[in-house]
Amino acid sequence: MAAREFSIYMCGVGGQGLVLLSNAIGSACARAGIRALTGEQHGLSQRSGSINIHMRIGDGVRSPLIPIGGASVLLALEALEALRYVEYLRDGGIVLMNTRIQHPVGETAAHIKDKKARYFSVADVKDRLSKVTDKISAIDALDIARSVGNPLTENIVMLGALSTIEDFWIPEGALIEAIKESVPKKAVDVNLKAFKLGQGAAHSDLCNVVKCRE
Amino acid sequence: MGILDLTKDGPSKVFMLCNEAIVRGAVEADVKVIAAYPGSPTSEILDSFSSIATHFDCRMEISSNEKVALETCAGASMAGMRSITSMKSVGLNVASDSFFSLSYTGVKGGMVMVVADDPQAHSSQTEQDGRPYASNAYVPMLSPSDPDEAYRMTKAAFAMSEKYGVPVLLHTSTRVNHQSGMVQTGRLTRTPFRKLNWDHPPGRFVTIADSARKFKAEMLERTKRMEGDFETSEFNLVTDTDSDMGVVASGAGYNYAFDAIDILGIRPALLKLGTTYPMPKKLIADFVSDLSTLVVVEELSPYLETHITAIAKDANPKLKIFGKASGHLSESLEYNPNIVAVAFAKILGLKLPVDYEKITRRAKELKRGLPDRWPTFCSGCPHRATLHALRQAMKGRKHVLATDIGCYSMSFLPPVEYGDSLLSMGACMGVAAGLQYAINEKVIAMIGDSTFYHAGLPGLVNAIHHGDDITLIILDNEVTAMTGQQPNPGSDTTAGQKPAKPMVLENVLNGFGVDDLTVVDPYDIEDATARMKEALSRKGPNVIISRRACALYSDRNKRRRGESIIHSAVDKDSCKMPYACVREFNCPAIYIDDDSRKTRISEELCDGCGVCGRICPFGSIHQANGGGN
Repeated sequence: MAAREFSIYMCGVGGQGLVLLSNAIGSACARAGIRALTGEQHGLSQRSGSINIHMRIGDGVRSPLIPIGGASVLLALEALEALRYVEYLRDGGIVLMNTRIQHPVGETAAHIKDKKARYFSVADVKDRLSKVTDKISAIDALDIARSVGNPLTENIVMLGALSTIEDFWIPEGALIEAIKESVPKKAVDVNLKAFKLGQGAAHSDLCNVVKCRE
Repeated sequence: MGILDLTKDGPSKVFMLCNEAIVRGAVEADVKVIAAYPGSPTSEILDSFSSIATHFDCRMEISSNEKVALETCAGASMAGMRSITSMKSVGLNVASDSFFSLSYTGVKGGMVMVVADDPQAHSSQTEQDGRPYASNAYVPMLSPSDPDEAYRMTKAAFAMSEKYGVPVLLHTSTRVNHQSGMVQTGRLTRTPFRKLNWDHPPGRFVTIADSARKFKAEMLERTKRMEGDFETSEFNLVTDTDSDMGVVASGAGYNYAFDAIDILGIRPALLKLGTTYPMPKKLIADFVSDLSTLVVVEELSPYLETHITAIAKDANPKLKIFGKASGHLSESLEYNPNIVAVAFAKILGLKLPVDYEKITRRAKELKRGLPDRWPTFCSGCPHRATLHALRQAMKGRKHVLATDIGCYSMSFLPPVEYGDSLLSMGACMGVAAGLQYAINEKVIAMIGDSTFYHAGLPGLVNAIHHGDDITLIILDNEVTAMTGQQPNPGSDTTAGQKPAKPMVLENVLNGFGVDDLTVVDPYDIEDATARMKEALSRKGPNVIISRRACALYSDRNKRRRGESIIHSAVDKDSCKMPYACVREFNCPAIYIDDDSRKTRISEELCDGCGVCGRICPFGSIHQANGGGN
């Protein structure tokens, strides 16, 4: 395998700002002189569709798509989506997921026919994922994003959490500069706050199971 | 990545989407005329040009379809200006009539056409392979694998086009267009836009009979010269090893082959083909001459494989060629590193370091019961309301729905599963014409405004002229929504927010002789249902316009104006759980509380259209006034 490769499989639901998130990481890499490439998804699924972005960092890879079992991190902005793409996570890889669930319309439609039906839950997702790895961290990114005053900053909360992982070696300064350049000017402050709070949330959860930066 | 990276002088290293890199390449090549119709995976080319259209001295339009776009570029390049267009591979079907002729007449100014395949049919009606168009029309083709290469090839393509006097096709695919990566940009030296004087003799670009035969002879000679030049092109890379196994790969296939080689730890000789028409026959012959085994990695049809097999027959008759014909690689769906690694391992008799099958099996087991998340209409989407109204209006009455290309195509997906045919842009009216000849049931055709202007007009003319018994529903949401809310001929702007004359749909229809026209607002759902029911009970041809702006477009405008979106909420006390707001409506903002079984509305997801409130028989849904759910 190539010298130093770090692949992040990102997923979520259309409208959660996944493209902005991968762009911010890519710009940070460009700033820091680190090679990065992505396989993105645009078109057709606008809001509320299942979205995935393959992000690969390092010198040795050419394919924008991560092979099955090849992701160092499965970063899910929505909990159900973490399970949907579980085959991409390498054994013992890291799951960093949002506790938010957006119930698919088909699941809700089925609920009106069965009074006992319960929605697929975060606990269900965690339970299933634990068969693949013990490095699972779930963060209430929506709650944090609301607390900074903008629920749309969920993606940056998750980026903050991601940035604490030691093996993700993109310098924090480059990430912060990239956030500043990626988000609208008037939203810079709330996004930087979201980033910091995401780091804080990771320190009290993710960093118990994964080696984090000092 | 943003406007700055497209407008800032280089050189610098930038993280860019491939579609943006193509734009950067064209801007550095001093392109003057840009015309395109959006189509995934190329839409961001048009969007990026649109975002910088006012920064540079150029002429840009969002054309009504790909054929008009190609012809617009053809006209400019005949005159001597550099031009570029982009389209998805099925878009070239629309433009192909002029495409073939243009290869005969040629151009003077450099002209580049970006044509993108969509293996896996992520957002297309077919997995059509666009490459045979190039060989069929004798048009040179370059196939990049990544953003940096796409940028360099775009720049080179303009010079190449001028050297040979023919448009150059830049062939891409979804995983190339929608790949971001590092691009080494260059200097940005733009010249002012100046109109030219027409300096060609009469008949220079007329191809018919005698002149067509003359052009054909020149075209064949031109192709021979290009093939000779491509033998030494910088875009064909040979990595020699002492292995007797070789790999030829191109486009996205090269990326997967490269990683598969790494996964297996093998060292085959590698030929990356960038000039995919005309193919450098001598280079390929030399490459395969000492090999015993060759694998060809390309997505979709065996375009390269067939040609390489023919070349190898003379160059190395004993060569064993593997790929699609041998059954190791498929002609359908997109590839990835593990698919190609599995094929290599099978061909070479190697053991895979990762058991992909086991991982896939385990994942399938873990996902049992995980609800599907099909693409769905956005909350607030007027199509949801129109479709709801239509189904209510046709309740108890058998009918067949010929639908078309646009967001509304999604109605056939679960849980709605509504709609009977979908072929191509504008096809609904032609199909409906045939249906009304053939079946007893009521025939309804449905098309969006942008698709109507793109290719729906001839079908409507045909139906009116023949008095076909069809009701056509035009979903007028002001924009080309699915590809990112670009303006269309019904908009009062075109690229770069420049003003444009909006077509008035009613006038167009009146002009065509539509005598029975109904206009509804789908948000006013009771009225829309009642009046659609009346219109649908009359004999066709007649037309219903369902008019309401795309929710995403409308939200963007609201944000620009500083207006807030007031979401709806369910009154828990009066909700009697008839689930009218769930049944056949399927708004992603609406869910059911696991314990109380009453419906709730997600504050974050609700767009505030209020249609669910109008459907609720107990009036339990209203605008939230700070109280929320």
